Amino acid sequence: MSQGSVNIKDLVKTYTDDRGRPTFTAVKNINLNIDNGEFMVLVGPSGCGKTTTLRMVAGLEKISSGTISIGDRVVNDLEPKDRGIAMVFQNYALYPHMTIFNNMAFGLQLAKKKKDFIQETVTRTSQALGLNQMLERKPQALSGGQRQRVALGRAIVRNPVVFLFDEPLSNLDAKMRVQMRSEISRLHGQLGSTMIYVTHDQVEAMTMGDRICVMRDGIIMQVADPLTLYLRPENMFVAGFIGSPPMNLLKGKVQQRNGGLHFAENGEKDTLTFPLKGSLQTIASKYIDKEIVFGIRPENITNEPKEGSSTPVNMTVEIAEPMGSESLVYLKSGTGYVIARIHGEHLFHTNEQVTVQLNLDKVALFDPETEQVIS
Amino acid sequence: MKPSQRLLLKKIVAHGFLLVALALVVLPFLMVVIASLRKGNFPPNGLWLNPNQWSFEHWKYVLNIPFSEIVNPSTGETRVVQPPTPPLHWLWNSVIVSAVSSAGIIFLSSTAAYAFARMRFKFRGHILQSLLLLQMFPAVLALTAYYTILDSLGRQVEWLGLNTLPGLILIYLAGVSTNIWMIKGYFDTIPPGMEESARIDGASPFQIFVRILLPVSTPIFAVVFILSFIYTMSEYPVASAVLGTPKTWTLAVGASSLLREHEKLWGHFAALAVLSGVPITVMFLLCQRFVIGGLTSGGIKE
Repeated sequence: MSQGSVNIKDLVKTYTDDRGRPTFTAVKNINLNIDNGEFMVLVGPSGCGKTTTLRMVAGLEKISSGTISIGDRVVNDLEPKDRGIAMVFQNYALYPHMTIFNNMAFGLQLAKKKKDFIQETVTRTSQALGLNQMLERKPQALSGGQRQRVALGRAIVRNPVVFLFDEPLSNLDAKMRVQMRSEISRLHGQLGSTMIYVTHDQVEAMTMGDRICVMRDGIIMQVADPLTLYLRPENMFVAGFIGSPPMNLLKGKVQQRNGGLHFAENGEKDTLTFPLKGSLQTIASKYIDKEIVFGIRPENITNEPKEGSSTPVNMTVEIAEPMGSESLVYLKSGTGYVIARIHGEHLFHTNEQVTVQLNLDKVALFDPETEQVIS
Repeated sequence: MKPSQRLLLKKIVAHGFLLVALALVVLPFLMVVIASLRKGNFPPNGLWLNPNQWSFEHWKYVLNIPFSEIVNPSTGETRVVQPPTPPLHWLWNSVIVSAVSSAGIIFLSSTAAYAFARMRFKFRGHILQSLLLLQMFPAVLALTAYYTILDSLGRQVEWLGLNTLPGLILIYLAGVSTNIWMIKGYFDTIPPGMEESARIDGASPFQIFVRILLPVSTPIFAVVFILSFIYTMSEYPVASAVLGTPKTWTLAVGASSLLREHEKLWGHFAALAVLSGVPITVMFLLCQRFVIGGLTSGGIKE
């Protein structure tokens, strides 16, 4: 069973003007293998090429070079309808002049399916989506969430091997977004189809994806499951993109002091200096007196010492955002501030002096030149 | 001045302005209507009609109802007046030409506009620009060319030559460039998302055009149809050059024939002019119900 696998090989998309002159390269030679039944999320800031990639898989955008295969067929020159895909658009893209029933049945009607079959399929799908009461209405009479559910239903009735989602939830309000998120995840569980999901929202990416493909400027930065992406980002971009708030990235130098290696932050005041312990020593040993970027997640800055190698640092509170059971505390540092997620029901005040523990087991060091992780 | 007085003054000025504007539009029309009801063939000269001047002779003339006219007042000799070619025939010609041309223009310009709006091909921008340039020259400039083309076309295909309505329609169909721009402008405002989802649903470009784009574009088609209809209904220079025999005349050509150099039949002309407004009004009322907004709402979240 590999009919739903998607293989993207050396894919390039260069846009051209009317005369065929290249104007902009949106996707720069990417390779990505998506397994049958996998939920793959493409995530990245706007203009990173994620939607272009999805549209090339759909067949809405011509491929400049490279190949896309679905199952064991190269689909480069196949019409969208022959690729076994269905797509859900950000702006719903329903047919405004048709009833909900016809919106969902349109593809089956074009495929010349039998009337009974269409009736049965649409009815069954609309029931599953809670739309059966509104089949005779037009899209205009529906709420945003219902409209997106119609778009979902229209995709389901086509029984595709690959579902494509182009930021389907960005037009919904926050509450509806959370609800639809779990609905799509449940759908994935029920159907077991391959799903490719484009979003710019890293929370959506983390919560929904089996694997996540982080893109920037038409290049894949890292492909991994959510936890790997979170724990072991391969570069500064992924480190800064995944997580909310994202990883703190401190610029500084590795220095040799008192026989051990220290990290000394750049800057003039409030600079952080602390010893590098354990495996960090070996990693940092190649960067003595060189620039380095020290990355630590807000969760790994706490106010109580933990097991393993942690190091205490004295810092000043700049702003605190109490959230109840925890606080996001912005601590002054040489190059700006460091965000710490500190548990406990405690109110922090501006200019309060705190001693925080940096959990050195869970940090990443990056080369500032290449922006790649050092290991 | 108190605020209430200033408001009153503003209202008076505004209404005065509106009344003047209204008079500019309505008065000439009323003068023509009155001239069509006045006995004898006098040019429109006022809004007052003496009760003893009332006459339906001009309307009888254009509606092809025979009536008698006193030829010699001293003897009381009369004769029955009947037009050589019934003006209603010209009206019918005009309606045929306008309806067929407008329908043809809609077909040609909407398909072309679809290509320009949705497809990417070489020289697309240049062709669009040259269409814009082309329409800056009035059609009359090409009059002699039209004449020659139809003349030689008529030698090969008789029903498409000079003095034929299909020939005239053929020339009117060339005037699509403005309409292409207009319809393309409307298509450009329709988000391409629903056409893309139709494509994924398996619709061919033609099916997308007919089943998705056309149903949501009826307002612009109604506008283009009515504008083309009005234009072709009242177009004179080309029609008068192409159509030589009274049988084939359109209303505009026929009406002008009533104003001969030595015999200006103003009354007949006035009646015919009022009559020519009827098909346009009917068409306008028919099209009006298609000119509604919000057809794409609900399908696409902007």
